[in-house]
Amino acid sequence: MIKLDNVSKFYKSDVVALRGASVDIRKGEFVFLVGPSGSGKSTFIRLLNKEEVPDEGRIWVAGKDIAQLSPWKVPFLRRNIGCIFQDFKLLPTRTVYENVAFALEVIGRPRHVIQSQVPAILELVGLGKKFKNLPHELSGGEQQRVSIARAFVNRPLILLADEPTGNLDPTTSVGIMRLLDRINRTGTTVVMATHDRSIVDTMRRRVVELDRGTIVRDQTRGVYA
Amino acid sequence: MGGKFGYALRETLQNLRRNLVLTGASMLTVAVSLSLVGAAFLLGYGVDNVTQRWQGGIEFEIFLNENITPEQQARIQRELDASPDVARSQFVSQAEQYELFKVLFAEQEEYIESVTADVLPPSFRVEPSIADADVISALGDRFKGEPGVKDVVFAEETVRTLLRVSGITQSVIFAVAAVLLFAAALLIFNTIRTAIFARRREIEVMKLVGATNWFIRVPFMLEGLLQGLAGASVAFAIVYLVRNAAQDAIRNVPLFDGFVVVTSQVVTTGALTLVLGAAIGAVGAGVAVTKFLDV
Ligand SMILES: Nc1ncnc2c1ncn2[C@@H]1O[C@H](COP(=O)(O)OP(=O)(O)O)[C@@H](O)[C@H]1O
Ligand SMILES: [Mg+2]
Repeated sequence: MIKLDNVSKFYKSDVVALRGASVDIRKGEFVFLVGPSGSGKSTFIRLLNKEEVPDEGRIWVAGKDIAQLSPWKVPFLRRNIGCIFQDFKLLPTRTVYENVAFALEVIGRPRHVIQSQVPAILELVGLGKKFKNLPHELSGGEQQRVSIARAFVNRPLILLADEPTGNLDPTTSVGIMRLLDRINRTGTTVVMATHDRSIVDTMRRRVVELDRGTIVRDQTRGVYA
Repeated sequence: MGGKFGYALRETLQNLRRNLVLTGASMLTVAVSLSLVGAAFLLGYGVDNVTQRWQGGIEFEIFLNENITPEQQARIQRELDASPDVARSQFVSQAEQYELFKVLFAEQEEYIESVTADVLPPSFRVEPSIADADVISALGDRFKGEPGVKDVVFAEETVRTLLRVSGITQSVIFAVAAVLLFAAALLIFNTIRTAIFARRREIEVMKLVGATNWFIRVPFMLEGLLQGLAGASVAFAIVYLVRNAAQDAIRNVPLFDGFVVVTSQVVTTGALTLVLGAAIGAVGAGVAVTKFLDV
């Protein structure tokens, strides 16, 4: 599903964000990307949906060499990839329902599809009753659920999560991880960057550890360190 | 498809409302600059129409009898060709006179219908090689008594002045309009930049979930285009009203009685105004979108 072959990424000439990274992630896997701040986790994630392009090496996503992808096809790559972030990136003036519907609206999904899929996904993430609220009326955990709903409403093959629990307390984080686990069980490949030790240690999934841009460990059913 | 179009339209209108002041300023600038462009064009058309016969240094016109014989006509032609004071002369047939007549009286159809080509006199238009007014009038008078000649009509001093002044006026108006058009494009550029900035979070999310570049761009392009078109429509209305008022005002001034701008010329000017307005809007918005959207 995702394959990196000897990928390097430099910012300017002297900042090495990723060096010689090779990883092969199969469909339906759940992978933690761990490592200290600045080790290249976010860069790894941004390379996968072509927000950044590698300086060396090749990347395949869903069977396609994304370096060869012409710019106008990038949006279609992204329709297969859901993204969630530490800061949620919700639109503050839109309701929960509108935030999720927005993701379908802007890729041209017809109204009847939006009207049936949005309530269903909000039910799935446990926000069936809060669809009329604005983001600031929700707790952090609920806001992250909205952003997961938005990322997953189009049923992407891959879900990328960059420190999704970074702003949440441990109890709330457990709830979010349950949700991501459920999504993973539907066959969705999940790649999650985190430096939350307890989460990685409880979940016991594949762990890829980065240190100053280099992969130093790749372990199935691993722990944080 | 209907959904996509609905989205673009909704976003465009919302943006326009959000920046009422900036939007108003750009539309006003477009309107003023395009009014000037339109006015300059109409002035040009009007002067062209009224001075039809006196352009390119033509100083007098020898009107011939409708029933002039070919020999008489050939004799006048030879005389003109032989005179060292004549730089150029041009024969205008009855059919050509009729075409001219149709332009001059385009607004008065009953007038055109009552006239046919064979009642209009053919003529020679003469461009002398000297500027001296006395020499010119002597030259013209020479033809007055010749067989086959009906009359000799001289360009008046006022016509010469009109031609010169209108040329200068047109150039000045065009220069001012060009500066204002540039200002208008800058203002539209600025409103679009503001609109993009106001919606940067939406744009970020749109890119993330896979909206196409054109889907993101179109509302902003449309916004610029609409501003340009709205300004141009106002300009068109202004020009149209001014033309009617001006034409009424000068109808009874002797020299200007032929100063008409026919409807087809007004329509041409209007179309040009709209095209220019749309172009200014699209260019201003296009540059802003390319510069700040990064898609
Ligand atoms: N846009 C950028 N421009 C310049 N340097 C960057 C940029 N993004 C990240 N970096 C640098 O690249 C390195 C890796 O960053 P990042 O991928 O964000 O790591 P992490 O997510 O693990 O904290 C860091 O040294 C960071 O300062
Ligand atoms: Mg990071």
